[in-house]
Amino acid sequence: MTAATDLRGFAVRPYSPWGIVRELAIVAAGLLLLSLVIKLHWMTNFMIFFILVLSFDLLYGFMGHLSFGHMLYFGAGAYGTALWLVYGGKSPLIALAVGMLAAALLAAGLGRIVMRTHGAPFALINMAFNEIGHFMIQSPLSGVTQGEDGLSCSADNIFGIINLYKDGWAFGFAAVMLLAVFALLRVLTASPYGILVRSIKENEQRVKFLGYNTFRYKWVTFVIASTVAALSGGMFTLVQGFISPRVISPFGNVDIIFAVLIGGAGTLYGALIGGTVFMLIKNFLPVLIPELATLLNMKLPQWEMWLGIVLLVIVFSVRKGIVGAVLAKWRQRPCGSTT
Amino acid sequence: MIQTVIYGFTIGAILYFFSVGLSLTFGTMHIINFAHGMVYALGVYLFITFMEYFGNSFLLSLIVSLAAMLPVAYVVERFVIRRLYGESLDYAIIATYGVLLIGTDFIKLIWGTTPYPVNDPIGLSVPLAGLDLPVYRIIIVISAVLLFLALRLFFKRSIIGQIVIASLEDSDGVRCLGLDVNRYFSIIFVLGSALAVLGGILYAPISTAEPYMGFHILLLAFAVVIVGGMGNINGTFVAAMVLGMVMAITGRFWSQASSAMVFVVMALVIIFRPMESD
Repeated sequence: MTAATDLRGFAVRPYSPWGIVRELAIVAAGLLLLSLVIKLHWMTNFMIFFILVLSFDLLYGFMGHLSFGHMLYFGAGAYGTALWLVYGGKSPLIALAVGMLAAALLAAGLGRIVMRTHGAPFALINMAFNEIGHFMIQSPLSGVTQGEDGLSCSADNIFGIINLYKDGWAFGFAAVMLLAVFALLRVLTASPYGILVRSIKENEQRVKFLGYNTFRYKWVTFVIASTVAALSGGMFTLVQGFISPRVISPFGNVDIIFAVLIGGAGTLYGALIGGTVFMLIKNFLPVLIPELATLLNMKLPQWEMWLGIVLLVIVFSVRKGIVGAVLAKWRQRPCGSTT
Repeated sequence: MIQTVIYGFTIGAILYFFSVGLSLTFGTMHIINFAHGMVYALGVYLFITFMEYFGNSFLLSLIVSLAAMLPVAYVVERFVIRRLYGESLDYAIIATYGVLLIGTDFIKLIWGTTPYPVNDPIGLSVPLAGLDLPVYRIIIVISAVLLFLALRLFFKRSIIGQIVIASLEDSDGVRCLGLDVNRYFSIIFVLGSALAVLGGILYAPISTAEPYMGFHILLLAFAVVIVGGMGNINGTFVAAMVLGMVMAITGRFWSQASSAMVFVVMALVIIFRPMESD
């Protein structure tokens, strides 16, 4: 956004397959370490959320388009998968593909509209579409989606053995998917395409002057981000076996934005770390606050107020997130970029 | 049908009260102010509390809660909004969203989550063409029109209004004239917040007060601001009335779809309007 940008990220790094394998190994090791302290079932939910955060990071962190409606595509994937399981077949992988396809088509259509805007209108229009989607699921489509009552569904085992309702298998499935998404985004963001996307974030006008059709690149990125979000939604359906309109509620968007910001927007590791911190806060704070309240014998505000306070703190003091702050220390140079 | 039209104008009037501040904040400071919803909701809850305290005196409670909200709006402006001038839009959205979350939770902490109904302060209705029209709604519509005219006068005649209009066009230019633009922005901000509180209080007897009321009207008001054009004072009025009418007419046939329809109209406007540069 300003001259403070670190230009090193813009070099085309000829990456070796080994480099990606090494990074995946680091991520996998991190996941296994985390699963030592957290129950496997929770860990699966964590990883599904990580995929969602990674997809949002592509849109916001790399392309600089803040959307308040990313949950629409998560929800579209979740409902697409669930509806296929209920009315179509029982194969989980096909259901997942159906959910992703549904969200991709939705994103391709809506992307033609939303990508005409940027900045504030972009955020708000996405929010509006998210609200319409939420409404559609709740009311006009309630004959199919069961509206507020939610939809239960069950899937067969993958390849006959992988039972997603067993914690161990579900963990493995989510981990593999997460690693696949991480690898895909790592390759994408380091490629010339990824550099163009990041250039759009810095200065779209100049990219246009270079002769690129930026609209097309933005649209493609939007569709990719939405499809990955739908993957996350579909996995949520498969693992939970039950969904309600809450999966498509616009209120969920803050969670994603918060996770991306706290980790550091624009880096894949930031999304993972931010997702971890967010999920830890979200899962432990509601337990801790009532205990603290009884301990202090007073009424304490619930979870939303703390979220609000942390958002303010992030915006006013640690903008680059955890990863950004660490990297800034790491890369300090006499005449390097200052923040 | 006449009742639907009156209802549409009422909703439009409330949307106008709320959206003016939002539109001006965006036009002058380029900030999408989610905290507007916080000010709105908190104002209504204060009003309900004062209503009990003052023995159901509508006007007195209105004035006192309005006066009580001015410092709150100023604090938000001074400590959050002012620190975001010239920053990237995203951070402003996120920070003001944080303020909205804090305000919502504060309301839940003090007043609980159960909705509060508010009585119609007049309760009379006039017969017109064989229908009963509540006087209170007519008063709301009239006050919105008066506000529109007053704001027009304010922006045309007063020095402050002229400065703000000039800054909507080119705030750097105004700054070059040696004027402290930020001071006028904060006046406008507090004015906009006061109008939101006023709208909320006027709307309370028709609806009920609940902690998330700020969120709901924000979504609608964003649609108003986008349709009307950001920072466009006349456009906001027209858009608010049109969208209020869309809500009322949709609601007559299919009540749950009324707010979704607003967004459909907004999407159509975006599709068919030439692209804005920013």
